[in-house]
Amino acid sequence: MSKVRLRFSRVLIVAKKELVDFVRDWRTVLAMILVPLMIFPAIFIALPLFLQGEAAELSVYELTVEVQGELPENLSAHFDGRNMIIIQSELVVDGTLSEPGTDYNRLNSDDTEVRIHAILRLQEIESNASESWNYAILSDSTNELSYEAKTRTLEAVLAWEDDVINATLVEYNLTRDEVFDPIHWDGDQADADVASGGELAAMNLAMFIPLVVAMWTTTAAIQPSIDLTAGERERGTMEALLCTPTARSDLLFGKWLAVATVASVSVLGQMAGLLFAINFLIRGGIDVPSVSLGGILLLLLSVILFAIFVVAIELAVAVRAHSVREAGSILGPMVLVFIGPTLFAQFVNLQGIEAWWFILPVFNITLAMREALMGIYDPVHIIMWVSTSLIYAIGAIWWASKQFNREDLVESLS
Amino acid sequence: MGDTLLSVTNVTKSFTDVVALSDVSLEFHSGEVVGLVGGNGAGKTTLLRLLCGLYQPTSGNVQGRVNEEPVDIHNMREHVGVVPEATGLYARLTAWENIRYHSRLNGIDDDLAWTRTERFAKLLNFDQDLHRSTRGFSRGMRQKTALLRALSHGPDILLLDEPTGGLDVTSARMVRKLVRKLGDEGGTVIYSTHNLAEAEQVCDRIVIIHNGTVRADGTPSELLKSAGCDNLEESYVTMTDDVARTQTPDEEGTIARAWRRLLTRRGDANE
Repeated sequence: MSKVRLRFSRVLIVAKKELVDFVRDWRTVLAMILVPLMIFPAIFIALPLFLQGEAAELSVYELTVEVQGELPENLSAHFDGRNMIIIQSELVVDGTLSEPGTDYNRLNSDDTEVRIHAILRLQEIESNASESWNYAILSDSTNELSYEAKTRTLEAVLAWEDDVINATLVEYNLTRDEVFDPIHWDGDQADADVASGGELAAMNLAMFIPLVVAMWTTTAAIQPSIDLTAGERERGTMEALLCTPTARSDLLFGKWLAVATVASVSVLGQMAGLLFAINFLIRGGIDVPSVSLGGILLLLLSVILFAIFVVAIELAVAVRAHSVREAGSILGPMVLVFIGPTLFAQFVNLQGIEAWWFILPVFNITLAMREALMGIYDPVHIIMWVSTSLIYAIGAIWWASKQFNREDLVESLS
Repeated sequence: MGDTLLSVTNVTKSFTDVVALSDVSLEFHSGEVVGLVGGNGAGKTTLLRLLCGLYQPTSGNVQGRVNEEPVDIHNMREHVGVVPEATGLYARLTAWENIRYHSRLNGIDDDLAWTRTERFAKLLNFDQDLHRSTRGFSRGMRQKTALLRALSHGPDILLLDEPTGGLDVTSARMVRKLVRKLGDEGGTVIYSTHNLAEAEQVCDRIVIIHNGTVRADGTPSELLKSAGCDNLEESYVTMTDDVARTQTPDEEGTIARAWRRLLTRRGDANE
């Protein structure tokens, strides 16, 4: 076997062993594969469905609202169909309608004969309108049923208010549009946007993808990086491994390949989850993001270069630590070094952007992803971010390789 | 005496302020079982790590020989099997998978590695445990696995760092028997231990290391003769009667030193 083939085969042996080791740890599989795959469907699909279900659950309850003061017939009609029991009583208040007074205890206590969930206070006042009222709804916002009663009452009151406004306008021979919308948009605003629905969806995706890639590549690589370096030192497996004829650089490449694979699978899993969630929402009226093949290839290239860079840096930092704890305490906060610039770069205007942005580490990749997703292909920008990212990736690997040649690699605090 | 396989010439190894080995010169020949005997911190592990190329000497030279040709110590790795003190097994792999991983890195075919492993595993009464996960292995089982891993690629030299440390009587006996058998079959074993009686029982030659220097080197009878004693323990005490190295201030740790300074200052202020 030639020397190059032998070295390559050793890199693969190391990578394969590390991957087997990962797969056999259910915690890694859960944290690296299942969680990233499920996170977006959970946020975009499961959470709204859950909230809808909870709202539907509350709508089943029949709620009691006490109306204090005269209940106008027009308002009474708006309570119909809202699953509410209306009790009427006299209005007795000192001060403003919002001050609960003795009603404080009635809303807060379960001891009352009939549980009242909210109180609507109404007081007619003089005005030029067809009719005019002061009102206040007393409720307990920490009690779900009381809050729900307030919501239903408010909906009814606002609907009644619309009726009153319309009646007043009719009295003066005016329409609602003439009063509230004298200068108005003609037609559908969406029709006037020359960007297609797909392009708009891609632009929205451009706000998500760089952040997802940066956050998940960085965080997904931490645990395996620590396990394969400081973990090996702590468990004493590193010394035996370094005694084999495998060159340290080959060990590093094997480990890097394994961590990069796990991190990539994790990021791809998260993206798959995101696309699944988007696909689900599309059925609800969102357009398919339109990204060209060139854009997808540039996006993948940027993800790969970013992964090479991040994983190498994390491996190098983890190698320097004597224990898992030490490595974790350094790498945990270090995530901010990658996420901070990504967040910042999200708000940089791409229109007329200065070229030097594309040579800054992390910024360049984030901006490259945004441009790729938005269909901006500037050759100068592409050359700049590809070349500088390559330089950073090679530099990071060189540094990691240097750390891996440290003599104290065989020693650990334990 | 066989051909020289490893030579250590005027080697000094320092770690910041600590001199772990000072001007050590030794030769290791094929077919001999050599015991490196010394107390904690004597420099045995440092010497073993220099012999397998994990450490670079601060001064001096460590060289290997293959077919009587001098070679760089790093190019000797295929000819060396190492059992470190920590054994270094992967808990999520079986014993055989641990062994196979290293034999593959040594460029050995799986079938050949299995044949060798099975043979030695039978000698250690361990052949039934090869396909068990190493998680939950006793110290003895871990040591046996590490030994089989070191032997799987058929090395010319075996370096063992405290191979019987923490083992029960039966397991320690098995390991000693295997080492002796390897020596009798012409293998070269360099064996570090605290236990002088064990070294006397297993080794053809004993090197006594103390405070980073070689205090004696020879067969057990040669050691007795040079010390003028009638038992090895007495000889060892005679040869190492100076005080062992103590912890240097530097080993205290930066944070601990900072706290001590701070507390001392506060104490001074109170006074």
